[in-house]
Amino acid sequence: MNPGDVDLRVRLGSLELRNPVLAASGTFGYGSEFAPFLDLEKIGGFVAKSLTLLPRVGNPPPRIAEVPAGMLNAISLENVGVEAFLREKLPALPAGALVVASLFGREVSDYAEAARRLSESPRIAALEVNASCPHVKSGGMEFGQDPELLASLVRGVREATSLPLWLKLSPNVTSISDLARVCEANGADAISLINTLQALDVDIETRRPMLRNLLGGLSGPAIRPVALRMVWQASRAVAIPICGMGGITSAEDAVKFLLCGASAVQVGTANYIDPRSAEAIVEGLAEYAARHGVARIADLVGALEPFGA
Amino acid sequence: MSSETSQQNDEATPNRPVRIRADVVENRDEGGVNRRLRLRAHDWPGSRPGQFAMLSPGALFAAGGFDPLLPRPMALFRESAVDAASELEILYKIHGRGTALLAEALPGQVIGLVGPLGIPFPEPEQGERAILVGGGTGIASLFDLAQRALGRTGGADTTSVLLGARNAIDLLGVGDFEALGVDLRCATEDGSRGHSGRVTDLLRQALDEDPDARVYVCGPTAMMRACAEIALSHEASCSVSLENGMACGFGVCLGCAAPVGEVGYQLVCCEGPVFDARQVRWEEIP
Repeated sequence: MNPGDVDLRVRLGSLELRNPVLAASGTFGYGSEFAPFLDLEKIGGFVAKSLTLLPRVGNPPPRIAEVPAGMLNAISLENVGVEAFLREKLPALPAGALVVASLFGREVSDYAEAARRLSESPRIAALEVNASCPHVKSGGMEFGQDPELLASLVRGVREATSLPLWLKLSPNVTSISDLARVCEANGADAISLINTLQALDVDIETRRPMLRNLLGGLSGPAIRPVALRMVWQASRAVAIPICGMGGITSAEDAVKFLLCGASAVQVGTANYIDPRSAEAIVEGLAEYAARHGVARIADLVGALEPFGA
Repeated sequence: MSSETSQQNDEATPNRPVRIRADVVENRDEGGVNRRLRLRAHDWPGSRPGQFAMLSPGALFAAGGFDPLLPRPMALFRESAVDAASELEILYKIHGRGTALLAEALPGQVIGLVGPLGIPFPEPEQGERAILVGGGTGIASLFDLAQRALGRTGGADTTSVLLGARNAIDLLGVGDFEALGVDLRCATEDGSRGHSGRVTDLLRQALDEDPDARVYVCGPTAMMRACAEIALSHEASCSVSLENGMACGFGVCLGCAAPVGEVGYQLVCCEGPVFDARQVRWEEIP
C-alpha cells in the first residue's frame, strides 16, 4: 500500500475532517501566522486562539518558562475578541482551511453570546468551548472542574448554536470520565482533551516562581502519557468522539492517541518547535498506515488491545 | 548581507519567513566567551538588519528527549552568498543549556531554522550620522546594520560603532567591525582594550560630538536603558533591540510580551525586537 492510498478522513460527529490532525488552540494564533510554514488546506483544520466577546490583554511577563520536555505558560487568554476575529482574522484564511473557533467567558451568558455571534459566520466549522484554562482566576477552571457548572455551560452554549459543539476539558480533575459524561448528557458533539496541567517552577537564585502568575499550564511531550490515559478513560465513558491532545510531536504520537480512542488529534506545543509539525504529522500518519496495511486511518480509533485479565 | 541572496524589492518590507534546514559549516570558539556558528542554507530569503532566526539547538527541530524543548532566538550577524546557497553567521556565547548544546553541533549536522523574523532597525537617512552601541552578545545584532549604514551614510565619519564588554577577548566580532572600516570605539571594564569603563561613556562622548546622530542599541537591559536615557537627554532618536525568551518567534505563543507603549505589552518577536527607546517602560522589565 502507498501512503497516497490511505483514506485519512475521520468523522467527529456530524463533521468530516480530511484527516485527523488539527492544530490546537492557543498554539496556532489565528491561523494565518502559519501560512508561511505549512499548507492550511492540507492539515485537518485548526482551533483558533480562544476568544472572548471583548478583546483581552494578557498577563505581565514572564509568561513562559521551559522545563524538561515541556513548557509552562500563563498568558491569561490574551485575544483580539470575537468581532475582530470575524472581521479581520477569518477573511485572511484560505477557503479550504477548516476553522474551529474556541471561546470562553466568565459566565455562561458570555460563552453563549460569543457562541451565537461566531455561529453567524459560515467559515466556522465547529465551536470548541474552553472549559479548562488553568490560569485565569475567574475563568474556565471552575466550569471544567464542577459537574453542575459544566452541565449548565454545555446546555447554555448548546442552546446558542447549531454548529458542532466541542468541549475542551481540564485534566486537573479527579474523574475525567464523570465530566465527559456530563458533556455528552448535555448535548456536546465531541470532547477535546487534555488542556495543560497546572504546574509551578522556581528560580532558586531569586526564590521567585518562574512565572509572574506563579502557576502556569504545563504542555509538551512531558504530559503525553497523562493525556493518553485521560483520552483512554474518556473514550470508554462516552459514545461521542474524542479529540485527543497533549504533547504530540510526531505521527507516532498521534497514532497512540487514535489507538487510545481519539477520533482526531490536536498538535499544540510542537507548533513552536517546528511550525510545520501538523502537516508533517499528516504525512507521517499516511506512511504509518501504509506500512501497517491500514486502509482507513479511522480503523485505528480505539484499536488499542489491552492485555487480558 | 549580499544582495545576491536577497529577494526583497521593497526596502521597508522584511521577507516572509521560511522554515528550513541549515547545514553547520563551522562552529568554533572565538576566544573568551564567544563562539561563531556558520550555517549554509538553501532557500534563505535574506534578512534585514536587526532581524533574527529561531534555531533548534542540537538536532533537527528538536533536541534529544526534547530537553531543551524550544528553539532559541538568535541574531543574524552576517549573510553572504556562497555558490547557490546562503551562508549565515551567528555569534553567540554559551549561557544556558540551549547554547551549550548548540556549541556541540558539528560540521555537517543539520539544524532547524525559522526566519527571518522580527521588525528590522529603521536605517539611517542618507548622510545621517549613525551611532551603533553594542554590549555583550547584543553586538551580534548590529553588524549588518553597520554594514548598511556605512553604505548609506557614506563613510566612517558618519557610522560609529561603540562596543562594550568585560575585557578585550569578550568583544564579540570586533575583528569584523574593524575590517568594515567604521569608526570603531571600544570600552572594556578592565581596560584591556579601548576606553576603561563602560560603553555608555563612549555614547555620551559621541553624542556630545554630534547631537543630531541617530542611536541604535543592543545589549543587556541595564545598558540599553542607560543608553536610552543618554540619547534622550541629547534629544537624539534611539532604537533599541530587546531580548526576551520566546517559544515560537512569530507572534503565536505570546510569551515574549514586553512592557512597551503607554499601557499593555508588545511582542518582542513580531512587534519588535526593535522599538523606539521612548516607548519602552524600562522600570517594568524584570
